[in-house]
Amino acid sequence: MSKLTIGFIINGQKKTIETTTSTRLLDLIRDDLHLTGTKEGCGKGECGACTVIMNGELVASCLILATQSDGAVITTIEGIGDNECLDPVQEAFIETGAVQCGFCTPGMILAAKKMLEENPHPDEEEIKRGISGNLCRCTGYQKIIDAIKLAANRLSSKNGGRSEKDD
Amino acid sequence: MEEFPQGLQNSKDFSGGDSKKCQRTVPCQGYFAPQRIEEALEILSRYGKEIKIIAGGTDLLVQYYDRLYEINNWLDLKNIKELKEVKINKNQMIIGAMVTHTQLESSEDIKTYYPVLSQAAADIGSPQIRNRGTIGGNIVNASPAGDLLSPLMAYDAQFKLQSNQREMIVPAEEFFIGPKKTILQPNQLLTRIILPLPEEKTYGCWIKIGKRKALAIATIILALVVKMAEDNKTVKDVRTCLGSVAPTPIEIKEVRKKMAGKNFNQLDFAELGQIVEDKISPIDDIRGTREYRKDVAKEIMINALEEIDSARRERNY
Ligand SMILES: Cc1cc2nc3c(=O)[nH]c(=O)nc-3n(C[C@H](O)[C@H](O)[C@H](O)COP(=O)(O)OP(=O)(O)OC[C@H]3O[C@@H](n4cnc5c(N)ncnc54)[C@H](O)[C@@H]3O)c2cc1C
Ligand code: FES
Ligand code: FES
Repeated sequence: MSKLTIGFIINGQKKTIETTTSTRLLDLIRDDLHLTGTKEGCGKGECGACTVIMNGELVASCLILATQSDGAVITTIEGIGDNECLDPVQEAFIETGAVQCGFCTPGMILAAKKMLEENPHPDEEEIKRGISGNLCRCTGYQKIIDAIKLAANRLSSKNGGRSEKDD
Repeated sequence: MEEFPQGLQNSKDFSGGDSKKCQRTVPCQGYFAPQRIEEALEILSRYGKEIKIIAGGTDLLVQYYDRLYEINNWLDLKNIKELKEVKINKNQMIIGAMVTHTQLESSEDIKTYYPVLSQAAADIGSPQIRNRGTIGGNIVNASPAGDLLSPLMAYDAQFKLQSNQREMIVPAEEFFIGPKKTILQPNQLLTRIILPLPEEKTYGCWIKIGKRKALAIATIILALVVKMAEDNKTVKDVRTCLGSVAPTPIEIKEVRKKMAGKNFNQLDFAELGQIVEDKISPIDDIRGTREYRKDVAKEIMINALEEIDSARRERNY
């Protein structure tokens, strides 16, 4: 199988990487870049575990060819916070108990983050619509919705800045 | 072989553009992402059936889930700006084939002139699918359950098909010939969707019945568009288009005959619903039985007529 080289910016870093025309973006992220926060659930666009943000849009990386991401700007879950400084959405998920097995969490958090960027004050229906491409087998969704509400409140009261721990 | 400017960053590294690597003993793999339609057509004519056109990939990557390796060459339309535009040209709306569902949903012009199409796009899949999936992909994929197809038919859409030999414009109705079958030839690209701008008193209603709200394949789809005369009472013309009830999206032409020229106030909604029920030929499948679909078709037709009636009355005051 012949190979080809693509380049993109992922989590703020420029990368040039060799890939093939039958590699999915999901495989490139997990197997070649070892960013294993992005998960594979269904592989068919239905579960959202593979969600990343590409060129400012929420996408399912299992439905994108690696070559299609040439020239793109990509953010994975690893790109939005770290152990020292979590993203406010991550903090809210932890505090409300919205994480059980954690498999859906990276995708769910990226979906929530993207939605809050576009709509800082979502109502419950809008939250549901925003995460409608992400399935969770564990939580029954209510705690996830609560987490997103909490994050929305904090983000708007803090003027959209990164939150430090409350108090 | 020529090189394609600004495709892959290192275009010489991919076999499709490098004759030295491409000795044809094994099929060579390539990925092309040209910036102009003409280049795309040129590549298509060269590769014909040996290349796969990819738009958003939301149908293709599911279809080829475990056999992506079977595809030797890709033609990605992502860099062709012209295909991503929604614009009004005189009395027509021109929608590029690469316009995504998200773009359709958020376009004010589409919302104003073609609310049924706007709503259909908003109801598709999930944010992830709407952000990548395109109108062109939905059309060419030609699934009987494709959500945009009945609205497009209901608004008298035409499709522009181009090859490097010639271009043609075909009405939506003639484009679809069976489940996942269209008249598109391997050397042709669908480039534009052309919709006539609707007259002022045009009303529309969109109803999709599925198993759940998100990520549901439609069990049945109805797109009803009614053009009213100046008096806002006399029906001028009607399109009753359904999806998921036949091998292709269909229009129930009998409804046209029955409604045209009539006063909306004197229409018998139940009778019109019955016509729809009688004229469709749905199948049993996991999403619903034939009988279920027939019953539902009648009900949603009645609901749609009621909805249009109340929109029409609101406008009278
Ligand atoms: C989880 C999930 C949920 C979905 N939900 C819905 C839904 O609710 N409603 C619905 O209608 N669909 C749904 N779909 C199907 C799909 O997303 C849509 O049909 C979408 O519009 C396809 O567009 P695309 O750009 O991704 O097509 P692609 O996969 O890129 O292409 C589809 C086909 O069209 C061809 N093609 C694409 N563009 C052109 C062109 N310009 N010229 C010639 N050929 C072309 C390709 O070669 C391919 O054969 C869903 C899919 C998934 C995975
Ligand atoms: S793995 Fe991509 S959506 Fe499920
Ligand atoms: S926490 Fe287990 S799938 Fe959501």
